[in-house]
Amino acid sequence: MLEIEGLTCRFGDKLAVSNVDLQIGHGAFVGVIGRSGAGKSTLLRMVNRLQEPSSGRIRFEGNDVTALRGRNLRLWRAQAAMIFQQFNLVGRLDVLTNVLMGRLSTMPSWRAFTKVWSLEDKALALSALDQFDIAQLASQRADSLSGGQQQRVAIARALVQEPGLILADEPIASLDPRNTKIVMDALLRINKHFGITVLCNLHSLDLARSYCDRLVGMAGGQVVFDGAPEALTDDVARDLYGLEAGDVMEVSEARKRPALSALPLGATA
Amino acid sequence: MNRARLTPSPQDRARLLALHPALALSVRGGHFIALAVLFALAAFAVFGMWYLDFSARRLGTGIAQLFHFVTLMLPPDPGRQLPLYMHALGETLSIAFLGTLAGGLLALPFGFLAAKNVVSNPVLHFGVRRFLDMLRGIDKLIWALIYVTVVGLGPFAGILAIATASVGELGKLFSEAVEASDRKPGEGIVSCGGSKPDTVRFGLLPQVLPVLASQMLYYFESNSRQSTIVGIVGAGGLGLHLAEQIRILEWQKVSFLVLMMLLMVAVIDFISSRLRFAIIGRRPVAF
Repeated sequence: MLEIEGLTCRFGDKLAVSNVDLQIGHGAFVGVIGRSGAGKSTLLRMVNRLQEPSSGRIRFEGNDVTALRGRNLRLWRAQAAMIFQQFNLVGRLDVLTNVLMGRLSTMPSWRAFTKVWSLEDKALALSALDQFDIAQLASQRADSLSGGQQQRVAIARALVQEPGLILADEPIASLDPRNTKIVMDALLRINKHFGITVLCNLHSLDLARSYCDRLVGMAGGQVVFDGAPEALTDDVARDLYGLEAGDVMEVSEARKRPALSALPLGATA
Repeated sequence: MNRARLTPSPQDRARLLALHPALALSVRGGHFIALAVLFALAAFAVFGMWYLDFSARRLGTGIAQLFHFVTLMLPPDPGRQLPLYMHALGETLSIAFLGTLAGGLLALPFGFLAAKNVVSNPVLHFGVRRFLDMLRGIDKLIWALIYVTVVGLGPFAGILAIATASVGELGKLFSEAVEASDRKPGEGIVSCGGSKPDTVRFGLLPQVLPVLASQMLYYFESNSRQSTIVGIVGAGGLGLHLAEQIRILEWQKVSFLVLMMLLMVAVIDFISSRLRFAIIGRRPVAF
């Protein structure tokens, strides 16, 4: 259970996120929607503590994570795995090393600095890559991969963090339609298979409607809609997106919820 | 607690590790190579110290001597020569300014000629590069010695020395900035029917100009230090006085001159970094 109370973030005299209250139960796939600059990214980044909140409180499983420092903060960050729009991989390092970054919080620092990874970690990283059919790319440099492959590497990195929560900040905004589907399906699979919560910022309303169980609409830093995708009528959406409404809603309603792919995720939740 | 935990089966593990056999080893070849290189470097450093008579004892007595000089330097005092020194400071500054300006302006065409993406003729490209290497390979101090014998003592020789070496250095930096530029805007200009010079003027110049300007500002700061040194061999400015006062053991004046230099460099550094940020925006420059 992720509980957010009165969360506020101020940049100078601009309120990016203003007094947000949210309660998100176990295993939900929650889409955060809204136009650019609505405060979606800042909200997610505050949950991972990449961005310090100006005021308010974040609780996960009853523990306050707003005031964590040092090692506990790093452990929390590993637990609340972040996925970025621009992938945020280290382009000059190979794919496997990038995925192993997800294990940093669990290993002694001499291992990390000398890059003498344990066999367990290497097998885990390979297995995470294998979930998304890219284990054969492990020794390639990350920046030699296509955007879709890089985002899958980033999801593998998130997966080896053994997260209790996944925060995806516009994960498909830099991808083509085919990779969009691959990446969203991957997130949905992690969500269903392990039963962990996924909090996903999306610009496209269409995608949000087809993948999420619950939508949170933000405008001007505030939550202005919170409910099931079916409850989000076109009128509400038009309010939410204003002039951008035409861009995000033009796609047909015919699209169905995607079926879960049957790839094996050899694991226990 | 609910966490996503992958537990690969033994078969999966074996299959995946077989995909990348090198991974099964906990220590890789790269580690041995890194260690070997580290040892080789350490051994080379020790050899170098032995060969060049490194002596901890001499270093110790030297440091004691240095402290003695420091006491002689306090307090810094220009005597009655403050106006003279201020004049010399102005001279040093103008040597640095005019030298950098002339060097930068001359380096501009060379920077483009030495860039592979502007000049496709390998002979011209190679020739320009080697010419810049030659200008850069000879130190400013040596250029100053040469110019002093050619045009006589004084700041003019200093300006020529700074400018000559700066052409070589800035020309190389400029050409690298040009080569690192994005090809697409130029392609856009070509697609509109632009000529080769148009492409350079509109596709390339707007991209690289902020980088070039910030490099020139950095060089102004660096050259204001260099022009003091250049003065020591007779090319005008503070350096001339500094060499003179060291020769006649006037340590208080020496320390005053050194302080003047430090202050000058600090002020220029402050101003030029402000200007650089104003030109390129609040982000570091990629040289």
